[in-house]
Amino acid sequence: MAGATTFPVRASRAIPRGAASDPLWVRIILIGIVLVFFSLFLFLPLVVVFHDALLKGLGHFFKSFADPYTQHAIFLTLLTALIAVPLNTLFGLCAAWSITRFQFRGKSLLTSLIDLPLWVSPVIGGLIYVLVFGRQGWLGPWLMENDIRIIFALPGIVLATTFVTFPFVARGLIPLMQAQGFKEEEAALTLGANGWQTFWRVTVPKIRWGLLYGVILCNARAMGEFGAVSVVSGHIRGQTNTMPLQIEILYNEYQFAAAFAVASLLSLLALVTLTLKTYAEWRAARQLSAGTE
Amino acid sequence: MSIEVKNVIKKFGKFAAVDDLSLKIGTGELVALLGPSGSGKTTLLRIIAGLEFPDQGEVFYGEEEVTDRSAYHRKAGFVFQHYALFQHLSVFENIAFGLRVRPAKHRPAEADIRDRVLELLDRVQLAGYEKRLPSQLSGGQRQRVAFARALAIEPQVLLLDEPFGALDAKVRKELRTWLRSFHDTTHLTSLFVTHDQDEAFEVADRVVVLHQGKIQQDGTPREIRERPANDFVADFLGLYTESAASGI
Amino acid sequence: MAKKRHILPGFGLTLGYTLVYLTLIVLIPLSALFTKTLSGGWEHFWETITSPRVLASYRISFGLSFIAALINGIFGVIAAWVLVRYEFPGKKLLDAIVDLPFALPTAVAGIALTALYSPREWLGPFFKDLGINVVFTPLGILIALTFIGLPFVVRTVQPVLQDLSADVEEAAACLGANRWQTFWRVIFPALLPSILTGITLAYGRAVGEYGSVIFIAGNLPFKTEITPLLIIAKLEQYDYTGAAGLGFLMLLASLVILLISNGLQHWQAKRQGVA
Repeated sequence: MAGATTFPVRASRAIPRGAASDPLWVRIILIGIVLVFFSLFLFLPLVVVFHDALLKGLGHFFKSFADPYTQHAIFLTLLTALIAVPLNTLFGLCAAWSITRFQFRGKSLLTSLIDLPLWVSPVIGGLIYVLVFGRQGWLGPWLMENDIRIIFALPGIVLATTFVTFPFVARGLIPLMQAQGFKEEEAALTLGANGWQTFWRVTVPKIRWGLLYGVILCNARAMGEFGAVSVVSGHIRGQTNTMPLQIEILYNEYQFAAAFAVASLLSLLALVTLTLKTYAEWRAARQLSAGTE
Repeated sequence: MSIEVKNVIKKFGKFAAVDDLSLKIGTGELVALLGPSGSGKTTLLRIIAGLEFPDQGEVFYGEEEVTDRSAYHRKAGFVFQHYALFQHLSVFENIAFGLRVRPAKHRPAEADIRDRVLELLDRVQLAGYEKRLPSQLSGGQRQRVAFARALAIEPQVLLLDEPFGALDAKVRKELRTWLRSFHDTTHLTSLFVTHDQDEAFEVADRVVVLHQGKIQQDGTPREIRERPANDFVADFLGLYTESAASGI
Repeated sequence: MAKKRHILPGFGLTLGYTLVYLTLIVLIPLSALFTKTLSGGWEHFWETITSPRVLASYRISFGLSFIAALINGIFGVIAAWVLVRYEFPGKKLLDAIVDLPFALPTAVAGIALTALYSPREWLGPFFKDLGINVVFTPLGILIALTFIGLPFVVRTVQPVLQDLSADVEEAAACLGANRWQTFWRVIFPALLPSILTGITLAYGRAVGEYGSVIFIAGNLPFKTEITPLLIIAKLEQYDYTGAAGLGFLMLLASLVILLISNGLQHWQAKRQGVA
């Protein structure tokens, strides 16, 4: 989904004046429409989360986190992200390097494949692993024989999370690396640097902001994934519940304040993600324009 | 160190950028590859540098065939048109780069690296600039850093891709003069690409005119000016051949 | 014969790792969808995807998503226009928060939207007075789907709008066109491919959406069930083949939408090349 979660590499242009600008009343109306629309759809939901989390007071808010099941859910979420994000970062680096530095056939097919998880329903992202590792799945009988649990256990959750989040780092890097070109890498080569040295000393510093951008988006999605994990997890309290699943359980049991408390934590993460993302975009755009002077 | 290319062909799709080209450059010569865009001069330079592999033909450095070895293995100093400096490294670190990435046993001691970098900075008249970042330098200064960086590795040959193309006229003239005098003191085999005939004629000992991947003429600036080999050369250089002068 | 060699190192290593990763994590599991569907036979597959309850879910998942995408199309263009062309305090904040649906976990969005429109608090009473129910109705689902697709049109149109040269508009003004005419005849045609692309992207995302919808939907059979929910329902009943069949159908639908989107982006790229 280009233009959506890919790394934007444009600089901004001047705003037209005079004959090509809109009359004041038009501007007021349009800005007003946007403000109402955004408030309704974006600001209000956020306000609701934090308000309803603190509805029963700060004491109740903190008590929600004393619940051992909730604590385990937080732990599981962090652990899953800790595994999935580095794996996907490595993938993103390799994919971006091979796609932007070399010519080969099937490149556009590869790029489309990388985008695939963004297009399919997250439920499918969980379903496919159930079909492979579940009891009736391909490897089901073998796994049962050897007492290995993938579905309804951590490995399944990690797999499903990895599936839905692996595009993010690659999509953050590919447009950036394409826009940057690889003259510096060629220069490093002529100076006698080998592959690894070129990568570490030249490429990584060049792409660090795009990398940060991709990693924080990947992390946000990994910690917040619901649909795919819902399918593979089995919702076993204290064992296979991640934070989003715990929110669902609390909500369905009418423990609204607790559900919103956990939700507020994830909302904070979302806000931090947005802030870091904006900062990373800005730094990378600056780096790009400075380098092409 | 002399350079030789034999019957080199390089195609991009159906388009032959370099078309069965053979060329010899003697040790210590300063040669210009001159031609319009698309003539194949940059491609040829990159093949000599090891930044492209030819489809056919051979490349020799001295007696050694280097055709299959990438730039990493050839000790050719390369200066890019748009400098290709490492934006995140200081001027000092840019120049020291080639020395730092050497395998341990060939790597000079820190003090030696420092001496060498400062000496080169002096050479390119940028003494005192070692802590600056590329973004803080002008175009001409950046190109001089790029030179120093390429020279730091003590290359056997120096290859320059339109080295002054991105600079304004005054700076271009200054650097041209500097390049010529540099070559006069070091006698490093040098090959540079340009589309600017004044530059080629002023700086080089020998000029090779290229068009559509083939050599049109190869000689000293004087030879070419007095006796252009064919209509293309005459046309490109704005000269008159005898036939053209009398034919109107 | 031409030698295919690469100057920069690492081709084999990086491409190899990429392909292995993709094959293991994506291709092989996806093929399980296909084989499991096949194993149930064509009739079972057909029955599954045309059963009345499933058909009702298509209306929601595919139909409402389309309406949501259109809504985002209209408001997305306005938002992109305002964010690119105008200066006002708080603009940067507005620009940053457009991406909230990307960063916010779907479950959080789900319960927040439900609470926001539930009859007793926040906006609920306002709607109740008008006699409109939001939660547990298709309207609620529509709101959730609009939320989820919000960034797509904005972010697809913004860069194109930024690149539009102001002098074309000034020329139109010199020729006597007012702002509305300039917009319709000059600006809008240039934006059209990107708007369509954004709508397609929003549609593709909405079709598969699960977490932000199921809370506000109430999941009433034949009324507010979405197709992904039915997949999960089938899994819970151990109808793996049925689940695989539905999943396969949704995968095909996603691929079609992806192809359309790629085609549109191609069109957009060609347009921009000429413009």
